[in-house]
Amino acid sequence: MTRISGRYLAKRIVVSYLTLLVIMSLLFVLLRSMPGSFITSMINPQMTREQIERIRETWGLNEPLWRQYVQFMINYQTGDFGRSPTYSTAVSELMLRRLPRTLILFGSTFIVGYIVGPLVGMYLGWWRGSNKDKSIFSSSLLMYSMPSFWIAWLFIWLFNYHLGWLPSSYMFTQFPEFEWTAFTVMRDVLYHLALPLLSVSFIGWVGAMLIMRPSMNNVTEEGYVFLARAKGLSERTVMLKHAARNALIPVATGAIVGLAFIIDGAVVIENVFSWPGMGQLIVNAVLSRDFPVAQAAFFVIAALIVVMRLFTDVVYTYLDPRIKFGEGE
Amino acid sequence: MTLLEVEDLSVRYAVDDDSAVHAVDHVSFDVEAGETYGLVGESGCGKTTLAKSLIHLLDSNGYVESGHVWYDGTLPAWEDDHGEAKQAVIDDPDKPVRGDGKTDLAALSNSQIRDVRWRDIALIPQSAMNALNPVYKVGDQITEAILRHEPETPKQEADDRARDLLERVGIEPERADDYAHQFSGGMKQRAVIAMAMACNPDMLIADEPTTALDVIIQDRILEELEAIQEEFGVSILVISHDISVMAEICDRMAVMYGGKIMESGRTRDIFEETSNPYTLGLKNSFPTITEADQELVSIPGTPPTLRDPEEGCRFRARCPFAIEECHSSHPPMYDVEEAIETGRLVEAADQRAHRSACYRVDELDTIRTQATKEETWTEQTIESR
Repeated sequence: MTRISGRYLAKRIVVSYLTLLVIMSLLFVLLRSMPGSFITSMINPQMTREQIERIRETWGLNEPLWRQYVQFMINYQTGDFGRSPTYSTAVSELMLRRLPRTLILFGSTFIVGYIVGPLVGMYLGWWRGSNKDKSIFSSSLLMYSMPSFWIAWLFIWLFNYHLGWLPSSYMFTQFPEFEWTAFTVMRDVLYHLALPLLSVSFIGWVGAMLIMRPSMNNVTEEGYVFLARAKGLSERTVMLKHAARNALIPVATGAIVGLAFIIDGAVVIENVFSWPGMGQLIVNAVLSRDFPVAQAAFFVIAALIVVMRLFTDVVYTYLDPRIKFGEGE
Repeated sequence: MTLLEVEDLSVRYAVDDDSAVHAVDHVSFDVEAGETYGLVGESGCGKTTLAKSLIHLLDSNGYVESGHVWYDGTLPAWEDDHGEAKQAVIDDPDKPVRGDGKTDLAALSNSQIRDVRWRDIALIPQSAMNALNPVYKVGDQITEAILRHEPETPKQEADDRARDLLERVGIEPERADDYAHQFSGGMKQRAVIAMAMACNPDMLIADEPTTALDVIIQDRILEELEAIQEEFGVSILVISHDISVMAEICDRMAVMYGGKIMESGRTRDIFEETSNPYTLGLKNSFPTITEADQELVSIPGTPPTLRDPEEGCRFRARCPFAIEECHSSHPPMYDVEEAIETGRLVEAADQRAHRSACYRVDELDTIRTQATKEETWTEQTIESR
C-alpha cells in the first residue's frame, strides 16, 4: 500500500524534469564562462589558422551562442552528450563505463555509512550522557574533522606500504596472472575496493550518526516509548521497535544530503586511489578542458540526486504513515 | 480483599550534588480489589511519581528509598495452576513473597517487573494523546501487548481480541487498521484504555485520565472507566489534580501534598467531613457549578521544594492554622473519627479509616469554620500567625 497518489507522482516527475533542464542550462553557462576553450588542448603552436578554424567548425564553436545552446539542450535530452576531444569516444559511452565503477565504490560506502551511522547513533542517543556516549561521540567528531584524502593517505601508508595487505590503486589487477571469470573479477574488485571503502567509511558514517543521535534522544522522551515500557516490553524491543523506528525518519532526509557529499568526496578519493570512476573523469576533464565530458559528468551526478530525491519521497510514505503526498492540494 | 498494600514507601530522585528530592515520603495506603482509589494533589506533590514507582517506571534518576509494595499476585514463573504463588516460592527467603501470597513489587528486578507490567498492572499514561506510536497501526499496538504476555496466543486470535477491545470502548473494530493520527483526541484516549485492558489486568493506573480533554469527552472517558471496572472488576488507581474527577469516580481517595499523604479515607468523608487544612484549601480553590457567584479562594504561596526537605509539617508554610508544634515534625496520620469522638489524637491503625495528618484534628470545628472565610487564606494572615 502506498500513500503516494499517481497524480502527485506525475507532478513530481515533471518538476524533476524541469529541474534537470535548469541544471543543463547552468552547466552550459558555467563551463563557457571558464577561461580558455575546450579546443585549447587540441591546438598546438604549429597549426595553421585554417587548421584551427576547421577544428572550431567541427566542434560547432562558430555558431552563435544561442544556437549552440539550443543544439546542446536538444542533444542532451536525446541522450547525445557529444564526443570527447581528449578520449576520442562518445561521451555517453564514457559515462556508461565510468558510472558503474563510481556506483560500486560510493554505493558501498553509502550503504556501510547508513547502516553503521544510524546504528551507532541509535545507541549513543539511547544512552546519551553516559561515558560510552561521551567517548564514542567525541572520537567520532575527531574522525569527522579529518580530511578524507588525509585519512586515505594514512590508510595507504598503513595497509599498503607498511603492512602490504591491500592494493592502493586501480579497480583491477593490472597484469593479472589468473583467469578472468565472474568469480575472480568479483574477488579482484572487492580486493581493490577494500582500502578506498575503508577510508571513506571511516568518516562516512559520522554524518548519519550526527542526525540519528539527537533524533533518538528526542524520541526517548515520547509518550509511546514510555507506554511501550509500561507494556512490559524489553528495553531492546522498546529501543528498536518503538524508538529507533521513529528516530529514523529525519535520517532519511539526511541521506540525500549525505549522498551529495559522498559524490563530492568521489572527486578527491578516486584520484587518491586512481579509481577509474566519475570523480577521476571530472578532474581530468576539467584539467584538459574537455568540456563535453565535464558537462556530462556533472549532469549525470545532478540527475542522480534528482532521482534520489524523488525516491526518498516514496520511502518517506513508508517510513511515516502520517506523511501523505498528493492529498489536499 | 486487599489488592495492593503500599507500606511506608519513599521514593527519591537523585540530584547532581548528592542531595535528593524526596518526591514520595513514607506513604502508606491500601487499594481493595475492584475499587477506585484516587490520588489527588497539586502538580509536583508526588502523585505521579508514586504511581510510576509501583511498577518501576520512574525516570532513570528516581529510585525507591524504602518501603514495600505488596501486591496480590505474583510472577508467571512463581505461580501455580490457580494463579496463586507456589508454596516453595513463599518459603524461599530470597523471593519477596509474603505468607499470604502477596509479592513485594518494590523488591523485584527490572526483568521481573516487566512480567508484572500490563499483565497485572496496566497504566494509562498522563499524555495518552501521544501514547500511541505514530508509525504502527493502533490494532497492532494492542496485539503487541497481548503477544508479549501471552506468547502462545495465535496472531489471529490476538488480533480479534484487539478489535473486540476497541469495540468495547466504542471504537469501530475496523479502525484497528488505522494509525493514531487518524484518531481524535477522545478516541486516542479510549484506544489506550482498550489497550490497558488487553491482558485483563487486576489493576489499572490512570494518570490524569481526563487532562487535555474537553468536559464532554472527559465525562465520557470517566464513564468508560466506570464501565470497564464494572465489566472486568479491575481496581483503578486514578491520579488527578482535579478533585471533581475524584468526587465523581472514586470510592476512596488520598490527598497528597509535598510527597506526603495529608488526608485519606472514603471520598464521601473527605468531601463532607474534610479534616485537613490542605484539603479545605484545595476545596476552596475549585469552582462548583451550583454556586454561581462563588469566589474562588486559592491557597497562597507555592508548594515546597522537596529537595532535602526541612523538618516539620510539609504544609505549615502555607497553612493558616499552623501552630508551634507543626515545626517539630510532620504529623502522623491521625484517626479522624477517634479525634472527633474522644478529642484524642490517636494514630490510625487501619489504613482504610478516615485519616488526616494534622496536629489540630481535634479542633476540626474551628478550622472548618475559619477555612470558609476568604480572609483566612491571605498572605498576611498566614505570615502573622
